[in-house]
Amino acid sequence: MTSLLALFQGQEGATHEAAQGAPPDLERMLMHHLTDGNEIEFEILGRGFTVHLPEWDPIHIGQLTLDLSPTKHTVFMLIAAALLVLVFGMVGRVMQRKYRDKAPSGFANAMEAMVLYFRDEIVRRNIGQGADGYTSYILTLFFFVLVMNLLGLVPFGSTATGNLSVTGALAIVSFVVVEVTGMVKLGAAGYAKTIFYVPPGLSPAMGAVMLMIMTPVEFLGKLTKPFTLAIRLFANMVAGHTLVLSLLGMIFMFTSLTFGKWAIAGASVVMVVAFTLLEIFVAFLQAYIFAMLTSVFIGMMRHAH
Amino acid sequence: MRTVNRTVSAVLALVATSPMLLWAQDDHAAEGGGGALFNINLGLSTWTLLVFGALIYVLGKYAWAPILSAVEAREKGIQDDLDQAKGQREEAAGLLAEHKKQMAEARREAHQIVQDGKDAGEKLRREIEEKARTEGSAMIERAREEIERERDAALDALRKESVDLALAAASKLIRENLDADKNRELVMGYVDDLTKSGGGAQA
Repeated sequence: MTSLLALFQGQEGATHEAAQGAPPDLERMLMHHLTDGNEIEFEILGRGFTVHLPEWDPIHIGQLTLDLSPTKHTVFMLIAAALLVLVFGMVGRVMQRKYRDKAPSGFANAMEAMVLYFRDEIVRRNIGQGADGYTSYILTLFFFVLVMNLLGLVPFGSTATGNLSVTGALAIVSFVVVEVTGMVKLGAAGYAKTIFYVPPGLSPAMGAVMLMIMTPVEFLGKLTKPFTLAIRLFANMVAGHTLVLSLLGMIFMFTSLTFGKWAIAGASVVMVVAFTLLEIFVAFLQAYIFAMLTSVFIGMMRHAH
Repeated sequence: MRTVNRTVSAVLALVATSPMLLWAQDDHAAEGGGGALFNINLGLSTWTLLVFGALIYVLGKYAWAPILSAVEAREKGIQDDLDQAKGQREEAAGLLAEHKKQMAEARREAHQIVQDGKDAGEKLRREIEEKARTEGSAMIERAREEIERERDAALDALRKESVDLALAAASKLIRENLDADKNRELVMGYVDDLTKSGGGAQA
């Protein structure tokens, strides 16, 4: 399956260059695959079609201009959401209908195991008392990111999480959840302490100095967490795709060699298969990390100082 | 609360991303195509927030809640079964103890009955023995008295007979009363007769 997938990607890349007939412009090809766009291509070997997405007029909210036109990443994000609703809606129905007093089997069992693992090992363990209110958010976060990651590995697919606009928005949601948790749980004074913190037992003068030094650090610390969340996911997704595409691109860079090109093509395909397998692992890992770190941040905020 | 959070998050997201957008666009203009990777599309961010928010609601209602409630229902069912099994086990243990107690009681009673029977039998045997012994000794006593009586009677009879014999002999002797030789011959003849008749009687 995965080798097929890699080959598909290879062929997809190949058609691009074959259509051009010119020396390969690998950077352009790479950027085309990685970046967002307002068209989705379904082409193999020059055949197929391209879907042009509609462009809507931007909406103006005060000074802000919002262009809500659907893009490639928007579409794949919506596909991911639809898949999630479909799959987990069905799992939920089946669980309610059949497995209330009977052990689940098959797919429902697998999903139940994952859901339970997340609730018990991630949410409850990291957040502690009152964690169950966050279960829905953390579970949705994990599976949403996971499906978006995996959609990039499907033929013709695209990774919405390889876009800073998406990871940034998800990270900001994390940030807001963490900070609002802090405000609600710790109260105004307690929350203020997470920014303006003076270690106990210091003289007033030293306290003032510490306050001046530590406040920017604490403040930056708050902002760094969501920033790293966004960059980590984005960079991992982009890096994986860049690696795979670069390896495939090597085939087209060495077409001038008579015998070497076959060796290079073979080696590339083997490497691509290996890295695509790695990519599947990374897709799971990064979704897991995003969800787990968010839980950890929530837990840290709830038990701050 | 959730809705408020989500609204706040959306607003914050927009506010936070706007300077980044400006920065990214400047960057893009300066660098050309390569900067497109870091482009921030606010529309896409908005889509993300909307889709994610909707997903949290929809999945929370139609996926996570049913799944977790089913799991909890099952957990509760299993716990109930375990509790019930424990109760039944305790009940069974109680019944077994009671049963054992009853068994012991029954065994003790049976033992008692057998013992009583044995005792009664023993007593009866002893009584019968005693009775037999007394009856036997009484019978022996009676027999002995009878024998003594018979012996006395026989002795009397013998004495009377011997007196009669002696008298008869004496009367015969006296009646003859001749001489000593004749007397002696007479007695001897008499004794011979007696011996003969005794021998004849014996033969």
